[in-house]
Amino acid sequence: MTKNILETDGLTVTFGGLNANDSVDLAVPEGTFVGLIGPNGAGKTTFIDAITGYVGMSAGTATFDGEDIGALKPHERAGKGLIRTFQSLELFEDLSVRDNLLVAGYPTKWYTFILDMLHMTPKNQEIEERVDWALDILNLTDVADAMPTDLPHGRRKLVGVARALAAKPKLILLDEPAAGLDTTESTNLGRQLRTFLDHDMSVFLIDHDMGLVLSVCDYIYVLDFGQIIAQGTPAEIREDPAVKAAYLGEQAGEVQAQEADRIRESQQEEVPS
Amino acid sequence: MKELIIALIAGVGAGGLYAMLGAGLVVAFRGSGVINFAHGAVAAYAAYTFDELRENGDVYLPWFDPIPEFGFLKTLRINNLPVKLHLGEDPSTWLAVAVALLMSAFIGLLMHFLVFRPLRNAPTLGKVIGSVGVMLYLSSIIAVNFGGQNRADVGFGGFTTDSPAVEILGGTIPRSNFYLLAAAVVMGAAVWALYRFTRFGISTRAADENEKGAALLGYSPQFIAGANWVLASVLAGAAGVLFIHKTQPALFVLFVVPALGAALFGNLSSVPGATVGGLLIGIAASGGVELADKGWWPAWLPAEGVRNTVPLLVIILILYFRGDKLPIRGSISIGRQPRAPESNNVLIGLGVCVGIAILLSNIFVSSWEAILTTSLLATLFMFSLVVLVGYLGQISLVQFSLAGVAAFTMTRLAADGTKVRPNDFFVNTGWDLPDPLAALGAVIVATIVGLVVGIPALRIRGVQLAVVTLSAVIALEDILIRNTTLLGEGAKSTNPTPEPSWFGQYVGAFNPDTNRTDYWKYTAFLILAVSLVGVAVANLRRGAMGRKFLAVRANERAAAAAGIDVSKTKMLGFGISSAIAGIAGVLFAYKLPAVSSDNFSVFAGLALLAFAYLGGITTIGGAVIGGLLVAGGLSAETLGVHFEDIDVAYINAVGAIGLIINAIVTGGEGIAMLQTDQGKHILAGLRRDPTIAPPDSVLNLTQEEIQGDVEGALV
Repeated sequence: MTKNILETDGLTVTFGGLNANDSVDLAVPEGTFVGLIGPNGAGKTTFIDAITGYVGMSAGTATFDGEDIGALKPHERAGKGLIRTFQSLELFEDLSVRDNLLVAGYPTKWYTFILDMLHMTPKNQEIEERVDWALDILNLTDVADAMPTDLPHGRRKLVGVARALAAKPKLILLDEPAAGLDTTESTNLGRQLRTFLDHDMSVFLIDHDMGLVLSVCDYIYVLDFGQIIAQGTPAEIREDPAVKAAYLGEQAGEVQAQEADRIRESQQEEVPS
Repeated sequence: MKELIIALIAGVGAGGLYAMLGAGLVVAFRGSGVINFAHGAVAAYAAYTFDELRENGDVYLPWFDPIPEFGFLKTLRINNLPVKLHLGEDPSTWLAVAVALLMSAFIGLLMHFLVFRPLRNAPTLGKVIGSVGVMLYLSSIIAVNFGGQNRADVGFGGFTTDSPAVEILGGTIPRSNFYLLAAAVVMGAAVWALYRFTRFGISTRAADENEKGAALLGYSPQFIAGANWVLASVLAGAAGVLFIHKTQPALFVLFVVPALGAALFGNLSSVPGATVGGLLIGIAASGGVELADKGWWPAWLPAEGVRNTVPLLVIILILYFRGDKLPIRGSISIGRQPRAPESNNVLIGLGVCVGIAILLSNIFVSSWEAILTTSLLATLFMFSLVVLVGYLGQISLVQFSLAGVAAFTMTRLAADGTKVRPNDFFVNTGWDLPDPLAALGAVIVATIVGLVVGIPALRIRGVQLAVVTLSAVIALEDILIRNTTLLGEGAKSTNPTPEPSWFGQYVGAFNPDTNRTDYWKYTAFLILAVSLVGVAVANLRRGAMGRKFLAVRANERAAAAAGIDVSKTKMLGFGISSAIAGIAGVLFAYKLPAVSSDNFSVFAGLALLAFAYLGGITTIGGAVIGGLLVAGGLSAETLGVHFEDIDVAYINAVGAIGLIINAIVTGGEGIAMLQTDQGKHILAGLRRDPTIAPPDSVLNLTQEEIQGDVEGALV
């Protein structure tokens, strides 16, 4: 039994009397790939906002790496290795793609600005390499010096994921990384996502692309109206009647399941590891 | 206690003015989404128009003759733009009122069509620059057209200087104070009713809520915006005319600060709220001033300071508690920011600039050296804006006041209680610190004050931060800069600068041999400072912390997700910027035989901000260009040779026009960015070259607009 990198206990977020998250108990075991699905407005992004500190929790606890993070500010949680991406792009548009990644990875002290001004900030080889790796894994190396605004939407989305990778996450929270991607990009992304696990991190994925979620996740939670209505392995989720009713629909479920099989097969073909 | 109550009641007079101005600000904001920093200036222009017509029968149109009758231009006999109209020898008061109100309406129309309509889709930053530009333009035009002399208008109707006193609790309050209260309430109620019950008002409210929806229902959002601009300006003009018997018209320009407090009290949307807010601010300020007269009141907090601190506190409290540490999901983004590229070839550029500066300082004799150092000082100061506004995206209007704080602190720390120059009026007692320490101490004090002023920026963003920092300018001037208890007897007029001597070397600008400010060691000292700070600021952009600054500017939410402590980063930016402003302030003081608060006035600060934007606020090159453009700097004085005695106000007016055009055309990127790719697209678009497609974000310009920009650059 591995320990849980992230655990929430009764996590509740209330917006003016409405429970956007209602007593959510969820766990991400270390080194695993966990997914969260649910229809629009189910409270998925609110859940990520709550555990990363962007909205306050009304009740419950969130534990990250064995520590209660409820009182920490967003950047402090990020500093502990809890790194998120955003559904909307939220890139640093004035910085090149490479600098977008470097911002996230570079440690600064209060006196760094003095070194900067003297042009003496030491290069951090480890982080430069990490940035190169993150660019490489998401096929962004060729646009490293481009500005994000010059890229097509799909690749900008990947810059967001790469930026999170560069920040050396222990747990990476991906908020709909495949939204807005075309089928090829989405399949490619699915292939890469599993390899994240080989780099000392766990992955938590929210996405609408059911094919993607069912194919890459080890374990899936289903959220509806702020409550977890089902959880289990992809195979169990696929067969769960409550999930079918709330979200997949009989027909759609079949299509998505076939899609998942197709992605899984293509992964096995091209990524033998 | 009795005096306090009387003072509180008397406060309804000023409160009435703030309420009327605040209501106008709400009207303009609802109609167009612009917080109009120029609102007080409109009131001032109307008040001047009223007084000028009564005194001399003249009406000055709100522009200046583009070809001043100076020097050789006089002989050109070009058909000049008409400025002055003579309406007869002794016009009636009511004609003067009507003309003043018509003038305000006209200015409102001009603002709508020339500035805010073109800016309607601009990012917040563009609108702020545009509105600050109008404020600077109108105050410069007031200086050009109406001059600096005092006015003594007695007012009209019941609103007169000899208004009979009302006796309350044994004290007396002029009856006109209550008329002002009544006028504010009547005006507020009328505007409220207009919005509540008329078709025009309902369509304004509809367009305010949802512009596209209103357009679909057949209302023209642009007509609505224009009509609201006229209404807002007429309200400003009425306030100006009704209050003229109480004060100098020039002061109206800065009454926009308490008016902003009033408008924020009404959440920028409620006219009754703004009316109540204005009255409360007037009452509180009047009560505060009364308390400041008491024996137990600390001497270091002067009464004038209290009057101007009340609106600052109101504004900060309202905005701070409404703000969030991080913008919430889906909140309106601040829009595209001007790009901030890394400066390449810093050393080469620096070498060229220093070489030219040294060359100029050797070629130019006497006053030319003073002109060169004016440009250098402006550039040095603008580096502080590059860090804070350019890199970090915090629109602060207060930085030049921090330069003033440093300058005055330096004179206090370095003074030794002896007369510096035979003709000094004041003798400053001080700490008698050696100069490097006095300068260091002054920079540290400016940095600390800058950090305190920066605290609201942790929760207040964009245009609201501009509002807070503008109100901080007014408060700082009275609390710190003109504070005789803290900064020496001369703080209200002039504080003599002790002869600066660094490690035995005299580095002041005043040359006793020539009796001019052209001492070469000062120029060299300044060139050294500009070079060091310039390289440091350019390097900052390339370093790890500079990247974080830009990340915070671009997106605070994402910056926090990347592990950046947004609050600390902002504080660091305010600290660095304030320190640079402090350095500029100290070196400015070294140039002057004595520092005066006029050297650091609001308008001097706004003009510097305008020229910094015009040059390009995001780069070192932009600051250099901005420094060249300022009044009294190299480019203006080069032309000034031909214009003999060109007025500072002309240069500032032209700078303000350049600023507005810059906001409309480039979103505030400035001249330095015209050489980059996007700049080339702009120029290509002008030439209507079909082979180069301009990017979406660039507006197509007309020939006149670019010409204006180029003219702005040349003056």
